[in-house]
Amino acid sequence: MSNAKIEEELRQMVSEITEVPVEKLNPEADLFTDLGVDSLRAIEIVAAFEKRYKITVPEKDIPNIRTLKQIIEYFKEAKKE
Amino acid sequence: MRCDKEKIKSILPQREPFLFIDEVIETQADEKVVAVKYIRPDEDFFRGHFPGNPIMPGVLIVEAMAQTAIVLYSLCKPEIAANHPNYYLGRVRAEFKAPVFPQDKLILEAHKVKIMDTAGVVDIVARVEDKVVAQATLTFGIKPKK
Repeated sequence: MSNAKIEEELRQMVSEITEVPVEKLNPEADLFTDLGVDSLRAIEIVAAFEKRYKITVPEKDIPNIRTLKQIIEYFKEAKKE
Repeated sequence: MRCDKEKIKSILPQREPFLFIDEVIETQADEKVVAVKYIRPDEDFFRGHFPGNPIMPGVLIVEAMAQTAIVLYSLCKPEIAANHPNYYLGRVRAEFKAPVFPQDKLILEAHKVKIMDTAGVVDIVARVEDKVVAQATLTFGIKPKK
């Protein structure tokens, strides 16, 4: 799967869970402070991400993933490993 | 592992008439729990839902699912569950596919998606015999009692 395709999927996934339309989902926007995501929505995003890509995100990493861009970067790093 | 009602009561904070699982018939490490609710004809909710046409409310199927999810959480995080924290539902994505009637045996199969100390996401399928009557993804939070 190409990076562009994965980025599109992740964007769609985050949009669906946060209920922020894809076109308004700025990759640099802070999910918590800019998009009003609470901790339960954050775990939903992580769970959807893990389920879709068979990746485990350790609990300690979750507070450091705050933007769509960081989710995409995290995915790329996890895939490398 | 199987759990009877007394063991379930040692895990769940709910009590009759709001206890919606009767036994746990299967667990698979900390990944899966299968619980059962025997739907009695004299369940209190049937008096109003609906007179002469008893059907288990979908919202109570979700409650049974949520209670099964707590049992699964207790397997994943026994040290936290032992302190009887407060559990609260955050989001329910559910589909209801068929009605549940008196004398049905409602089987609730919960699978872990993600369980952390303070939150969980669980997929649950509810069946009567082999028929799926509802399925849901529940997101819930856990907070220690003050």
